[in-house]
Amino acid sequence: MNTEIKVEEVDIYKELKTEFGGLGANSFQGKMQDYVKSGTPIVACTDDFFPELFEAMDLPFYFVVRQGLESAFHAGRGPEAVDGYDEFNGASTLCSLQKASAYLLVKDLLPKPAAIVMTSTSCDAQTAVNELMSNYGPWAEVPRISVDASFEKDEASMEYLGKQWIQTIPFLEKATGKKFDLGKFKEVCEESNKQTQLLFDFQELRRAVPSPIRAEWGFIAYMGCRWSACGRQEGTEWMQRLYDATAQRVKEKKGIDGVTEKIRYTWFDILPCWSDKLFPRLEQEFGAVNLMDLYGYCAPWPSIDTSSLESIFTSMAKRFLIGNPMTRQIFALSTVYGGDAVNIAKNFKCDAVIMPGHVGHKDGAASHKIVKDMFRELGIPFFVIGCDVFDERYMDPEVVYQKISAFFETSGLT
Amino acid sequence: MESIKSSDVFKKFSGIATSLKNSEIENWKKQGGKVIGYFCPVIPEEVFIAGGILPFRMRGTGSTTTDSADVYLKQVNCGFPRHTFNQALIGEYDFLDGLVVNTCCDTIMRLAVDWEHAGIKTPFIYSLDNAHAGGEAMVGHFRNQLQKMKDAVEKYFNVEITEQKLQDAIKLCNETKLLQQKLYELRKLPNPPITGSETVAVMVAGSSMPKEQYNKDLKTLLDELGNVNTDKKYSARLMIIGCGHDDTLLCDIIEELGAVVVTDQTCFGSRVMIKTISEEGDDPLMSIAGYQVLDVPYCPKTIGTHPERKQFTMGLAKDYKVDGAVGQCFISCDPWAAELYLLKSEFQEAGIPFIWFEREYIPDLIGQLKTRVEAFIETINN
Repeated sequence: MNTEIKVEEVDIYKELKTEFGGLGANSFQGKMQDYVKSGTPIVACTDDFFPELFEAMDLPFYFVVRQGLESAFHAGRGPEAVDGYDEFNGASTLCSLQKASAYLLVKDLLPKPAAIVMTSTSCDAQTAVNELMSNYGPWAEVPRISVDASFEKDEASMEYLGKQWIQTIPFLEKATGKKFDLGKFKEVCEESNKQTQLLFDFQELRRAVPSPIRAEWGFIAYMGCRWSACGRQEGTEWMQRLYDATAQRVKEKKGIDGVTEKIRYTWFDILPCWSDKLFPRLEQEFGAVNLMDLYGYCAPWPSIDTSSLESIFTSMAKRFLIGNPMTRQIFALSTVYGGDAVNIAKNFKCDAVIMPGHVGHKDGAASHKIVKDMFRELGIPFFVIGCDVFDERYMDPEVVYQKISAFFETSGLT
Repeated sequence: MESIKSSDVFKKFSGIATSLKNSEIENWKKQGGKVIGYFCPVIPEEVFIAGGILPFRMRGTGSTTTDSADVYLKQVNCGFPRHTFNQALIGEYDFLDGLVVNTCCDTIMRLAVDWEHAGIKTPFIYSLDNAHAGGEAMVGHFRNQLQKMKDAVEKYFNVEITEQKLQDAIKLCNETKLLQQKLYELRKLPNPPITGSETVAVMVAGSSMPKEQYNKDLKTLLDELGNVNTDKKYSARLMIIGCGHDDTLLCDIIEELGAVVVTDQTCFGSRVMIKTISEEGDDPLMSIAGYQVLDVPYCPKTIGTHPERKQFTMGLAKDYKVDGAVGQCFISCDPWAAELYLLKSEFQEAGIPFIWFEREYIPDLIGQLKTRVEAFIETINN
């Protein structure tokens, strides 16, 4: 999650990171303050909604949960936001990221939207923040639409979700005054398809031994294509450069600079906000390379079928229910959650699997035993920690490091 | 009669509510009857009843530890599923022939897999996908989910659930709801003949025994309540709000302190009886779906529905002339905690004192809880 990688990187990746910052600055999110000042209508939504629609409508939007990440934790104000939330006596066991989002909301630190779009998914904590978001004092009268995503993954469920999402178009037009143009929407979706294909191709490159690149880049690529520049040509071009640079490293059989790869593992959850205190150290001490995380992993997403409005929304629903990182794993049975961990471990030739056991992820906590037994059968060392991937005060990164060190040693990996 | 506690029928209900196994279930099983456990009132018991199967609402009653369940569920998971699952792991749910879980929360939705993986000998396990947002658009989809569940029950148990049987089951369950409504009406009286604790026992028993017998017993109890001396004065009329509270702990605390609980917004209480299911129309599954999605108060896990819940809860507070409201939710139940956080300011705006707290499903210590409730009641009385 922390994009500041301390270990020296080759120049091309420094450039890509700078360009990534430029994508962010040029995104709706990056220009949010300008929109607020000019009174431009803004939409607040859950992070599972697809940005292609906003891009096509030239409609500024933000994901509420992303605000907790970027305006609180990435800005070094995570503990302040979590403590602030705890002072106003909300749910004590809420995920710290959601606490931070709720704090920003209640303290009027989020731009007041002209419309709220919510889709039922993800976790109970997200549901809790959804309800706070749509009912909190100054926002209580903001028009909102709530969409029900089915837990099932059959065709009927996809159509059910797609049909509801189509209703967001007239809703957004009325609430914001922006107009929807199907032709523009198709263009954006086609560009998004190119980005998605590049995401997959990039992911395939990351199977290489030694790993050409750190796991962080999976999340950065996801953010670039989904959050900052979804459906924009500049995003596609940036993703192409990331792919090309990485393909070159694979061709040259280059591993991560300065690291002698000895242990390949996956961190099966969100990358921690305190990554820089853990991963470089594991690389240097053990030659242990993290290959993948939950947000950096893209299970096969269907392409968006742009033949009609209905087909676009149905394929969006498919992406959402069977592809979206975290939604895919959380809004599913434990066997899907564990199945993805197994697929990563097999496809990326992992020697070990680390499940951080983020304390806010109650869904994951209810799946650990199932996943653990899957890996026991495979004979792949598996370890659950129980830390907080956002708030390092819950378990000091030093403790996490010591636990992982002991795990590597007792598993015979060192 | 000074109190309904001396009634034999009440004693029966109380016994059923404070244990998992009971003589009604034993008799049912002896006659070859099947029992299906279900976790949430969104799962319609009418479907099982129509199949000649006894529905049993799951709870962790009697549990003293989660040692066995903690292999599967962690401390961050709510105590309700942990204790209930633990009871199953130690054999307390051996009487179940089936289990239906639903997508009502992050933990419960995962229990179907855990249940099977743990080797609990419940032959039929089914996951029902309920609606997670409110509105007309969800009714048809939920109806289709109910159809799938009905088909699965028919196939596994080799029963035929006809529309007529569904209509009959709806009528039977509606009769239960109407009787329970009568019970709640009595609580509107200045001196209610039944306390909150006693009501919890009656309501919990309703989801733990055959409906025909329950209705018969409840009619008797209602008659007996007419003979209860209602002179007792209470220091405050309170309502309780929260998730699936199947014990009398909070009511006991409140009522030992001299106040009385006159109504509730909980899913073992008013949520299951406040309305009846339409007996009109030729598609009973659609009637059930409409009832579950549109008629009864939404669970806070259902996004975008707080305004409707607020209206319902405020309406209860007004109808039952409450002096204050006490919210409780289990630790780790994020949706309910957010709901109570919102309700607190809304009740206070309406001039109704409100307190809420998180608690363990089966707490080791209740001293702190008691102190907070006591202070709250004193504040109201002052």
